[in-house]
Amino acid sequence: MANHTTTQASFENQPTWSGGRSPFNVSYGKLMMWIFLLSDAFTFSSLLVQYGTQRFSNVITPITTKWPDPASIFNHFPGMHGFHLPLLFVSVMTFILILSSVTMVLAVEAGHRNSKKEVAKFMIYTILGGVAFLSCQAWEWYTFIHEGARLDGNTFGITEQGYKHLHSVGFGSHFEWETGDRTFGPVPFAALFFIVTGFHGFHVFSGVVINVVVYIMTIRGVFDRRGHYEMIEKAGLYWHFVDLVWVFVFTFFYLI
Amino acid sequence: MEFYNKPGEYDAINYVPHTESHGTKELWKTFWLLLGITLFDFIIYFVMPASGFRNFIFIFFGLVKAYFIVGAFMHLKHEKISLALIILVPTIFICGLILGLLYEGSALEVMKSM
Repeated sequence: MANHTTTQASFENQPTWSGGRSPFNVSYGKLMMWIFLLSDAFTFSSLLVQYGTQRFSNVITPITTKWPDPASIFNHFPGMHGFHLPLLFVSVMTFILILSSVTMVLAVEAGHRNSKKEVAKFMIYTILGGVAFLSCQAWEWYTFIHEGARLDGNTFGITEQGYKHLHSVGFGSHFEWETGDRTFGPVPFAALFFIVTGFHGFHVFSGVVINVVVYIMTIRGVFDRRGHYEMIEKAGLYWHFVDLVWVFVFTFFYLI
Repeated sequence: MEFYNKPGEYDAINYVPHTESHGTKELWKTFWLLLGITLFDFIIYFVMPASGFRNFIFIFFGLVKAYFIVGAFMHLKHEKISLALIILVPTIFICGLILGLLYEGSALEVMKSM
């Protein structure tokens, strides 16, 4: 009722609790994106809780060997078959995701200046970054499955002999598993890896789809007609959230 | 403050506050920080032997990276404090839940070996 009569200047000066204006001074869409991201953070947290509990309950068990050291498994790099290069490929993936986050935020900044050409350019860079990340993840999964990872078992239980063998090779040296290096390990290891990185990869894929839609809307001039580029900000919030989740996946699955 | 709504009208669904560009300086600074921390993690991984302290460093720098992504890239630093709080406070409780269940996980380990 009051909405029809108050002017722009007067509703901005209203106290928060008198209603009739956005209490957080953000648009409806952006507020809802934040709420969605919070719920999505809970989803990822539940997966991390499960991972943490499983990992801490499988440090050393009498039946199986301990939780495998990630460096011993994710030590491959495309085109460098048979070399011990732990953490290198996943660092490249992290770099790609950080870079695509920057191009996204540059697209948002260009949107504030209503520069359609620059927004389109940076959106393309962001989409390319997302596709590159997904390709890397596909290669990582392929290699991991090829090495014997399955959802219902774990052949990455590394024996004492295996760890001795691993520690005897330096970064970049030639490395192949020998008989007796590996046995059965804690069952949920590979399953949790596939579930968490798969869930994250699905988010990256959704982000790429959202970015493509937003890019098409940009070049068709939808936001120019609307008068503002707020949609870029909303897509950006989602994209940065995906980057944020990767920070924790990188920390808990690869570094620790 | 400018609005995109027509004069004299307030429409809760289509209300979009006017935003200004703050330049790209802060964004690039954040990028170099994130890259630097990732490289630092990479170096620490090979220089330090695995220990609880090294894990603490990794988690600490993970949280620092999260602060920069949420604060600068997602612009939460420049939003109203009430919005920042409804986003951040529940996540603190989640961190508590994770820590609690790590403790329970260790207890499970002991029980399994009994």
